[in-house]
Amino acid sequence: MTAAGAHWGVGCYEGDTGRVAWEISHDEIQREMGAAPGRLARLGVGAGSRVLFCSMLSEAGQFWPLMVGAMLAGAQLSSADANEGEAARVAMFTRRLPYDAVLGVTPALLDGLDGLRVPYRDVFGGVRVVGARPGAYERLAAAGLAPHRFVLAGPAVAIGAEPGGPAHVDEQEWRVDLDGDVVCVTNLRPRATTFERTRTAVRARLAGGGIVPSAGREP
Amino acid sequence: MNLPPADSPYFSPAEETMPRERIEELQLELLLEMLPHAYEHAPVIRAAWEAAGVTPRDVRTVDDFRERVPFVDKDALRRFRDERGDPFGGLCAVPPAELTAVNSTSGTTGDPTLVPEQWGAGGRPAVITRDFWGMGVRPGDHVALVLFTFRGPVYGLFQGLGTVPVLFDFDPAEMPRLCELSLRYRPRALYNFGSVLVHAVRDACERRGLDPADVFSSYRAVVYAGEPLGPRARALAQEWGVELFEHTGVGDVTAAFECHAHDGLHFWEDTALVECVEPDGRTPVPDGARGELVATTLFNRVAPLVRYRSDDIVRVTRAPCRCGRTHARMWPIGRKGDEVVVQGRPVLPVDVWGAVESVDACAMGLFQVIRPGPQADRLRLRVGYAPAWDGRLGTVGDEVRAAVEAATGIVPDVELVPDAALLRLGPPHKIPRVAPR
Ligand SMILES: [Zn+2]
Repeated sequence: MTAAGAHWGVGCYEGDTGRVAWEISHDEIQREMGAAPGRLARLGVGAGSRVLFCSMLSEAGQFWPLMVGAMLAGAQLSSADANEGEAARVAMFTRRLPYDAVLGVTPALLDGLDGLRVPYRDVFGGVRVVGARPGAYERLAAAGLAPHRFVLAGPAVAIGAEPGGPAHVDEQEWRVDLDGDVVCVTNLRPRATTFERTRTAVRARLAGGGIVPSAGREP
Repeated sequence: MNLPPADSPYFSPAEETMPRERIEELQLELLLEMLPHAYEHAPVIRAAWEAAGVTPRDVRTVDDFRERVPFVDKDALRRFRDERGDPFGGLCAVPPAELTAVNSTSGTTGDPTLVPEQWGAGGRPAVITRDFWGMGVRPGDHVALVLFTFRGPVYGLFQGLGTVPVLFDFDPAEMPRLCELSLRYRPRALYNFGSVLVHAVRDACERRGLDPADVFSSYRAVVYAGEPLGPRARALAQEWGVELFEHTGVGDVTAAFECHAHDGLHFWEDTALVECVEPDGRTPVPDGARGELVATTLFNRVAPLVRYRSDDIVRVTRAPCRCGRTHARMWPIGRKGDEVVVQGRPVLPVDVWGAVESVDACAMGLFQVIRPGPQADRLRLRVGYAPAWDGRLGTVGDEVRAAVEAATGIVPDVELVPDAALLRLGPPHKIPRVAPR
């Protein structure tokens, strides 16, 4: 039940000059939910998998379709904030239960693990797919792990299909190009908020049709 | 979802105002369904009952329940988890493969424990929906949500009510955005606020030349939780014309919210059977007296907590409320495990809170009571101060000692640390208020 014209919500993305609010319709969330099981299947996540999503509430517009997608695919999900204070929770989850994927790991979470003196390997070593955001990706790779790239290109979620590979957005929904090294996004289907080569906080190059963020830049 | 008329003060009038006898009949009915399920399927409950020599057949009335059924507490769940290697502490009462989600408790009082969930299993009464409807939220309204994600997608409840969530991180750094978007979307309610965020809003408005009264002019309700809101934050909110509603969890079983009467926090008794007992015993305390909250779920068949000792010290009354609702109300006071007896006097964080906050340098109200054990010779406090006071710590220390002595009759030992050092210890509305050293 939805009030006429009411949106799903007002989310937030990182633009190149700071956080930007975006209105999100129920239709676009529905479409992305429908596509999400397929996107997750490419990571090997499906029935019987368990996935931990590391995200902030302001990012729910980006994460919620993936979470529902995981549920629709028959996976179990867990949630933690993606900040320093939640590092202990993330470590607790992977210590207590086996996870097939942990998606959305941020540099702040790794800072938290550093503060707790917990090695990244202890937390993520047994996880088949670790989706790490720019800044965290490099640190996990340096620790000998094989993370997948996980990039919030503004409102669009880009995920690497294999460790080391570029991160891909849903190409039915988004077109990505560069302005210099700034990743810009354009929506291809109707949305409550229109994106027309909208500049995001991500600095990257494009390779193999996907995003390879510049090392050391972190939205 | 069937909605009542917009001018109805209640979301579910029949349930919210049902006569006490009917509440009690319903509770017994739900309890007698829940107990055999918990006993059969939740190993930690089964173990506790077997140790006590009780079976569901021994419970026919609520009195039987009170007399015979053993308590469980967080330590029992942790012990079961560690000894049996069961990640859910023996509480998961459905096959783990059938779970939708595994979330976790806040973990303020130690390692978070896992919370098994099955979404869409049905039967969940409209907790939160009833409360926010009562506060004046209606379909089509915007609602500002300032929350953590560890409890799962709480925004779904607001979308289910036809409202539009405006999403924020629980982080003081988000408050400039909260102010800006409050002016743009004019939300009807804010869930969830806290002292640290109140001060951050004040700072954001000062920096941007905004009038907080304008920022909050559309809000019918601002809900806060996690900790008592100190007198300073309360005074600011009042100045801004904000109507505050306190909110708390009820023994990891359900939730409680203030209503417009602001005379205690309602919990919905069709979701939980709540008892209030002597903190060190099993005798019920009289209506309105201080005791430990013990909760039993009446709807959660996935993680059926039965007679769960919450460690929360509260007062509970079953007297009807001025708002017309008949469900019980509670007043949170503190945590049993936080109490330290100093020179024969029990001290809880809430007892020194106002005193600490009354000192200008400590206006954020960030402090910890040092509790090496249940008893201590001295009251030791670690208190945060704002950076501007760096050169005047002698004065700050004197002021804190004087204020705490006035409030408790005990002169404390005070260790001053920068606010930032305490904020690093946890999410800002819930830094651990008690530390072992
Ligand atoms: Zn009331």
